[in-house]
Amino acid sequence: MTEHAWLIVVLPLVSWLLISAFGRRLKNEGDWLGVVTIGVTLVLSLVVLWEVAGGAATRVSVPWLVMGDWQLDMGYLIDPLAAVMLVVVTAISFLVHVYSMGYMHGDARYRRYFATLSFFTFSMLGLVVADNLILLFFFFELVGLASYLLIGHWYENLGPRLASLKAFIVTRIGDLAFLVGLAVLVLATGTTGIPELRELVEHHQVPATVLTLAAILVFGGAVGKSAQFPLHVWLPDAMEGPTPVSALIHAATMVAAGVYLVARSFFLFEPSATALSVVAVIGGITALLGATIGVLQTDMKRVMAYSTVSQLGYMMMALGVGSLVAGMFHLWTHAFFKALLFLAAGSVMHAMHTMEMHSMGGLYRKMPVTAWATIIGGLALAGVWPLAGFYSKEEILNAAFYSGVSGAGFAFWAGVISALLTAFYMTRAVILVFFGRPRDRHRYEHAHESPPVMTVPLAILMVLAVTAGWVNAPISHHWFGKLLGEAEVHLAPIVTVLAVGATLLGVAAGYAIYALRLVDRRAVINALRPVYTLVRNKYYFDELYNATVLRGSLRLAEWAAWFDQRVIDWLVNAVGYVAVKLSEAAGKFDLSVVDGLVNGAAAVTVGAGRRLRTIQTGFVQTYILTFFAALVVGLVVFQLWRL
Amino acid sequence: MIPLSWVLVSAALLFGLGLYGALARTNAVRILIAIELMLNAVNLNLVGFSRYLSPHDVTGQVFALFVITVAAAEAAVGLAIILMIVRQRDVSDVDRINLLKW
Amino acid sequence: MTGLQIAFLALSAVMLFAAWKVVTSDIIVHAALWMVLSFVAVAGIFLTLHAEFLFAVQLLVYAGAITALVIFAIMLSDIRELRGEGEPAGAGLGRRVRRLVSRRLGLAPAAVAVGFAAVMYSVYRATPWPGLPPGDPAPSTLAIGRELFGTYVVPFELASIVLLVAMVGAIVLTLREGGREKEEKRP
Repeated sequence: MTEHAWLIVVLPLVSWLLISAFGRRLKNEGDWLGVVTIGVTLVLSLVVLWEVAGGAATRVSVPWLVMGDWQLDMGYLIDPLAAVMLVVVTAISFLVHVYSMGYMHGDARYRRYFATLSFFTFSMLGLVVADNLILLFFFFELVGLASYLLIGHWYENLGPRLASLKAFIVTRIGDLAFLVGLAVLVLATGTTGIPELRELVEHHQVPATVLTLAAILVFGGAVGKSAQFPLHVWLPDAMEGPTPVSALIHAATMVAAGVYLVARSFFLFEPSATALSVVAVIGGITALLGATIGVLQTDMKRVMAYSTVSQLGYMMMALGVGSLVAGMFHLWTHAFFKALLFLAAGSVMHAMHTMEMHSMGGLYRKMPVTAWATIIGGLALAGVWPLAGFYSKEEILNAAFYSGVSGAGFAFWAGVISALLTAFYMTRAVILVFFGRPRDRHRYEHAHESPPVMTVPLAILMVLAVTAGWVNAPISHHWFGKLLGEAEVHLAPIVTVLAVGATLLGVAAGYAIYALRLVDRRAVINALRPVYTLVRNKYYFDELYNATVLRGSLRLAEWAAWFDQRVIDWLVNAVGYVAVKLSEAAGKFDLSVVDGLVNGAAAVTVGAGRRLRTIQTGFVQTYILTFFAALVVGLVVFQLWRL
Repeated sequence: MIPLSWVLVSAALLFGLGLYGALARTNAVRILIAIELMLNAVNLNLVGFSRYLSPHDVTGQVFALFVITVAAAEAAVGLAIILMIVRQRDVSDVDRINLLKW
Repeated sequence: MTGLQIAFLALSAVMLFAAWKVVTSDIIVHAALWMVLSFVAVAGIFLTLHAEFLFAVQLLVYAGAITALVIFAIMLSDIRELRGEGEPAGAGLGRRVRRLVSRRLGLAPAAVAVGFAAVMYSVYRATPWPGLPPGDPAPSTLAIGRELFGTYVVPFELASIVLLVAMVGAIVLTLREGGREKEEKRP
């Protein structure tokens, strides 16, 4: 199967085309087509993973473009990394497809939604298997395009429209860095194939400075896609899209693309301590930033969104401290519990038609499955033993603890504090939404559990959120780590104690404040007013970008306008004045001499035209006759001239 | 053995006849037939060259095949157009079809 | 003069005579039938040039399919060739040119056609041609198959698309109004 892995990429593409072309005539607008296709690719991906775990690997590459003596290939590379990612993407995508059949039921653009979902999956799978960085870049862009289309699915409303634009433009800034990084790599090495590059780097045939530069630029692409500080601003706004799309974006496709990019080109980072430090520190900052903002959001989906930002920070941090396995492991576990959380949030949204947590409460009695999904997802996210998040988080903290990269210390403490905050805000969200008294009677009365097509994916994800971490636990002899090539695992007891302590403290604090109301929230907020304002407003990042980037370009435009009006206009006016004077003189000459010539020429033309237009008979035969006559005469002349 | 020039000359004569037909006759169907004759002349040339100039590969014959394919398509569409014109304007003489005129 | 040469000359003569009749015969159905003869003669010439596969294709496509098409078109449209139909349309210089063309054995077309053939003949005369390569060539059908599905597989596929489009186009063009109505009535 591994050598036929291209099927996994092509099937969603076919599904996209079929749904787009024939969806109208298919039953249920073709949604089953997408579900079946993705289901098949999921099975194929599992087979590939099975084979790869048994030692299979494949690389197929065919020439694509030849420019002079430089050749660009396209092909696919299946190694353990890609195989793991294939399973993550197809699994989440499959469940999201199924869930969407319920969630999007009756949507005006149901068919377009499913077609684009297939397209999104296709782009992401292409990105996963791409064997060279340029091909990867193309799919990277396609992922961006697909997420733009899906975030803006309800484009009649201003919010989704602006959010999709924001996501597209902000990630494009990162993509530009990636592109420049690619150019640097091509100039320095002449190849973009991932195995070839890896070989060159491993044999020290790339200068260290070039490598560092390229690595940091490539990381720029990941910063944009994976919503790392300072380009994280688009991700929370992307909540405007349909919730299953958010689940897909946050769990498996869009934001995972950045992490996967760094993992895929990890050999560029490994030899460069500087690049690793940059990644670790940015990851740490992002983890802290996301976690703190998440604490004060009141919109359920936005809490999830900032927790994604924070968890992505974790993954980057893991990569930055030099542990590919820890980063990918967290990507793996996070995909399952974050998809679970989002789909559960979607279920709440479906019932309540709002995401504002302060108008929820007590929903446990109305929607037990959704509540359990959120609780299990939340516990997994917070890192409670033995759920998935526990293992990956511990692995990351251990990696940071033992790492020699400068900045790893910061990353470690950022990780611990984020763990505490994560546990706190998840507890808060669960209590506000599902327990206590209902705050909005009217909405509460109308709430109901979602249909099975939505709860069954939730149930599956619940199981996965519990078990996904076990693949890299003592119980499975660290199968996952060995698959991705990690020799041994160091586990420091102090790290486990800290991590578990932070989590428990977070849960306890959340419980104490929101369930038991031991502490008066108002008092705390008043005591910490400046911090509260800062965090509540998301550190004013949007305002900062407005003030600098947007205002800056406006200011530049104003200045350009002033320059244009004062300097250039003056020059133009001066030139104009001179020209007017000259033309007055010329006009006199023109009227008498030139006009005479022109009129004469025109008269000749009209006369000739009147006679010649009769040749234009409209009979094609006449034209062909003239054509062949000219051809014969031309050939004769040519022959004579040659003699 | 047949000299190549025989093939070429007879193809040139066939082409000339076709050309004459296409130019001199006014019936649209007949013009189409004359064009088919010209295409046949071209095929003759191609096959001749294939036989004499590159005996070890059959590129010329493959080209002739493609010409036949296109000729078939052209005949189908051309005749359909003629049918259409006859039906709508009740003429099949290109003399009467002069919408391209000034 | 070998048998092959005699065969070639005979076929060539038949082909040219048939073509002459195609162009000059007065009745359009006769022209179509002469066309068949001409095509068959061309097929025979292909055989003398060792192009067996093209021989078959020529018979099938030209002598079969295209002929059927032409005859169908003649029958369906009830085309009659009208002779000596008054003055050609047009005015002035163009009318004069037109008159040159449309006379039944118009001078200008004849001059152009003969001129073209003559020019080609002089070109062929002036070019040194290689002799026939020694030995009989292998049957070409296998080689054509190899080329078609190897080197020329993309043009081959494109040609099939061209045929498909032509087919659809022909159907759409000749669709009668009645047929369209019937289609619309379906739910």
